[in-house]
Amino acid sequence: MDRTVSDTPRLAARLIEGEPAALARAISLVESDTPAAIDILRAIRPHLGHAVVVGFTGPPGVGKSTLVNTYIAELRKRGKSVGVVAVDPSSPITGGAVLGDRIRMAEHTLDQGVFIRSLASRGALGGLSASAAQVADLMDAAGRDVVILETVGTGQSEVEMAMIADVRVVISAPGMGDDVQAIKAGILEIADILVVNKADQPLALQTCQQLKAMLGLRDLTRRSVPVLCTDAINRTGVGDLADAVEAVAGRVKQRENRSAVAGRTRHLLAQAVAKAAETHVMQSRTQTIAAIVQGIQEARLSLSEGARQVLNNLGGEGHDG
Amino acid sequence: MALTATIPARVLVTKIGLDGHDRGSRIVAAYLRDAGMEVIYTEPWQKIESVVALALQEDVDVIGISSLATDHLLVPKLMKALDGAGLGHIRVIVGGIVPDDEEAVLLKSGVSRVFHPGADRADIVDVVARLARDAGANRPDG
Amino acid sequence: MNKIDTRVLDDRVDRDAMAQEWRRGYEAQVSSDKVVRNRSGLEIRPLYWPEAGTDPEFDQKLGFPGSGPMTRGIYPSMHRGRTWTQRQLIGLGRPEDFNGRIKKILKSGGSALSIIPCNSVYRGIDADEVEPELLGTCGTIINTVQDMDICLADIPIGEISIGLNDPNPFTMLAQLLVVAEARGVSWDRITGTSNQSDYISHFVANHMFYRLSLTGARRVQLDAIEWLAENVPNWNPLSVVGQHTQQAGATPAQAMGLTLASAIQYAEDCKARGLDPNRFLERFTFFFDVSISFFEEVAKFRAGRRIWARLVEERFGATNPRAKRFKFHAQTSGVDLTRQQPLNNIARVAVQAMAGILGGLQSLHTDGYDEVFTTPTEGPAKVAIATQNILKHEAGLCDVIDPLGGSYYVETLTDQMEAEILAVIKEIDDQGGMFKAVESGFVQRAIGDSAAHFQEAVDTGAQIIVGVNAYQDEGDGTAHPAIDRPDPAWIQKQIDSLAAYKKTRDQARVDAALEVLRRAACSESDNTYGALVDATRAGATQGEIIAVLRDELGFGRPLVVV
Repeated sequence: MDRTVSDTPRLAARLIEGEPAALARAISLVESDTPAAIDILRAIRPHLGHAVVVGFTGPPGVGKSTLVNTYIAELRKRGKSVGVVAVDPSSPITGGAVLGDRIRMAEHTLDQGVFIRSLASRGALGGLSASAAQVADLMDAAGRDVVILETVGTGQSEVEMAMIADVRVVISAPGMGDDVQAIKAGILEIADILVVNKADQPLALQTCQQLKAMLGLRDLTRRSVPVLCTDAINRTGVGDLADAVEAVAGRVKQRENRSAVAGRTRHLLAQAVAKAAETHVMQSRTQTIAAIVQGIQEARLSLSEGARQVLNNLGGEGHDG
Repeated sequence: MALTATIPARVLVTKIGLDGHDRGSRIVAAYLRDAGMEVIYTEPWQKIESVVALALQEDVDVIGISSLATDHLLVPKLMKALDGAGLGHIRVIVGGIVPDDEEAVLLKSGVSRVFHPGADRADIVDVVARLARDAGANRPDG
Repeated sequence: MNKIDTRVLDDRVDRDAMAQEWRRGYEAQVSSDKVVRNRSGLEIRPLYWPEAGTDPEFDQKLGFPGSGPMTRGIYPSMHRGRTWTQRQLIGLGRPEDFNGRIKKILKSGGSALSIIPCNSVYRGIDADEVEPELLGTCGTIINTVQDMDICLADIPIGEISIGLNDPNPFTMLAQLLVVAEARGVSWDRITGTSNQSDYISHFVANHMFYRLSLTGARRVQLDAIEWLAENVPNWNPLSVVGQHTQQAGATPAQAMGLTLASAIQYAEDCKARGLDPNRFLERFTFFFDVSISFFEEVAKFRAGRRIWARLVEERFGATNPRAKRFKFHAQTSGVDLTRQQPLNNIARVAVQAMAGILGGLQSLHTDGYDEVFTTPTEGPAKVAIATQNILKHEAGLCDVIDPLGGSYYVETLTDQMEAEILAVIKEIDDQGGMFKAVESGFVQRAIGDSAAHFQEAVDTGAQIIVGVNAYQDEGDGTAHPAIDRPDPAWIQKQIDSLAAYKKTRDQARVDAALEVLRRAACSESDNTYGALVDATRAGATQGEIIAVLRDELGFGRPLVVV
């Protein structure tokens, strides 16, 4: 299905006014990488930088969506408007997805101050963090005070996501400290705040201590990372979490400068290039690619040399997927 | 660039009113997912205003309402509410237990199709895909 | 040689002694047993069993009905003595309509009464807070003691067994108790069952009945069981439901396993409260779906009965023989019914009902063939009742107890189903019990997988459904029944009557009673059910009562697993 838009400037203007329908539509256009997307992104540029982007990630089963739900309620109490990007994986085979994260956030459905959008990772369309970053920008431009990015932390995605967020919250649950460690050493590296959710359960304290001990092994020159206990269902500890997020956001916003933004853009570009190269290699039926593949198979070419040749070929031949 | 792959249809699968039997809605959600669509799934008992808010925020093309215990009687109200919110392009289907004479009422209120127990999987997927295209073509903002 | 002879001899003594014991029990239940003959004039005995000295497994696995392993039935006489109860669910808009219909049914020989409330009541919402289109379409609108009193006008409530489809926290039962009080009927004469009390099954599958958070429901349920044991001793507060999970897609073995796992959870919760298993277990009842998979269903019930008898003894140490009785109601499965060629559903319902009867049920609801279009209308409901009567009187299904017992196939299948069911129970035990297993979504995922698996079989044609994926008939001219929706003017009258009720009651008394209920909910040491009955007596509506409990104990949000 081809979705085009006839009047992009007007859509962007409505979005900047904060109109939910315009925001929803713009997200679709950007997420689908339609020709209108770049026009919208250009139009909103002067309106960026207002929102604090908070990333929530952690292994499945720690109660992320429930915690996000409770955190939204806390933000609303504090008078903040909220945008939520809830990311679920697409099936790598069919491209389809069932997006159910917002089920846990149902109490905010009718609150005009909360805009929730479910995003499928759509593996093929140019990198998850790229579209998530752009969707976060759209919500920012639409005037949302806080934009929450929720991702399932089962691999690389949460580290990618971390590149976009101003504040990175990594969630664990009692007895799951090891899982967090097992998932990625990187997940602890990126955390600005660590949360042990379901704190009413036994082992909560133990997990807290375990995580603190792991953090102790980090580079001592880095600032300390708070470890908080929350119980999202009974709504305890979420005020502390909101305070901690505000504190980190304050520091980040001060520190933020052009080179950081440029660095992030460079990172997103790198991902997009990698994705494009992958699509090219997997779908190309040209002689050149076939020859490179064969060269590697026959050990005449190293993998890295092959990759260099592919990148050169990308520049020369254009795209034929 | 090879990135202009087909954009998945977005479908809201939900239940309004009072009933909570969700076997049918879960199966249909899985059908549509396996056909490459993006399905936004909710818990039952959505209010009409909630369905409108969900459809708007998620920018869906099609809404599927599952009804097994007379909740379909509310669908005409939903159709009016969607129109009122400027979401008249969204296509609505109903699945479940709907008597013949009431099916006529639903169709008259703007529902695109009513599926009954025993509906064919391929038929459901085809109809939703076609309706999603219709919705895309009828958007007020293009 | 001698050894073997001795064993055979011992076996003979045991078997014959057991048969005599059964005979005594049978004769106590069937006072004037007339000789039953078939159409060829042959005499039909009430029970058949292998001669002493043969079939050594018989005593351990089957035995005689009413004792031992219980596989063959929970009473010595089963349907030959007293046939099952015909418990048809009827849903009628206003209390007056219900009362009119139930009086007719009782006059024509009905022996039990079931009340199905409107879906709005199931959700715990009063008529003045619901879209009027949805009121009274599936059941009776009962919000107040006054509504209940009208439902039961001229009904001798102390002399009839009453089934209430009354999910936790049992507001309809409270209304019934207040009506009884006003009529001078003492509570120990109130008998019947809270048919929809299995909140775990509502969390998992039938979400409409799910009113309070999982932990809140657990607490209120135990309060009710404890309070009712003291105050309404002949009431069955718990009906553990396998119907919802099977309707949601669980296989028959899974549904039985999950139901028994729920019963184990409830029993353990009761024990933890300090209640006596010998007392509370005899008040447990069960409610199952019966599908068209005929032999599988028969085996499911026989295996479930055997497992329960053993669980009661071994796991809960109960010695009361009545506690071992696996009493169950069955409803024919609506999932099997088809919209195509709808009259075929009459045949399906008959086969389903046969499976339930031969499986040894205590009461039965047969679906109308139109349930796939609507909540059953009068004509099809009559056919459904006639189906039961045909099976009873024409087919002779009541003549013999456990007539399939001893069949190579049925006994093997019963053993196999038992193993499957035990495996499910073990799986749930490994999850930390049913409560934990549903909290984590384990059970929901398992059921969803089974539902998808079955649907796949239908989609691919591996499972043939007549008229749906085979034997289709384009020219199927069967007229679909006309639907009778409640008259909006009558519904408006009901809404008005609620408004009038609220105006005339003593509001200060209502507020005070609801406040007491609120405080009871906040304090772990108070019993919420006593406070709930008091609030009902003071004039609080079911919606108001449930709202207070939802405030304090949490809203019933099911775990939706996709």
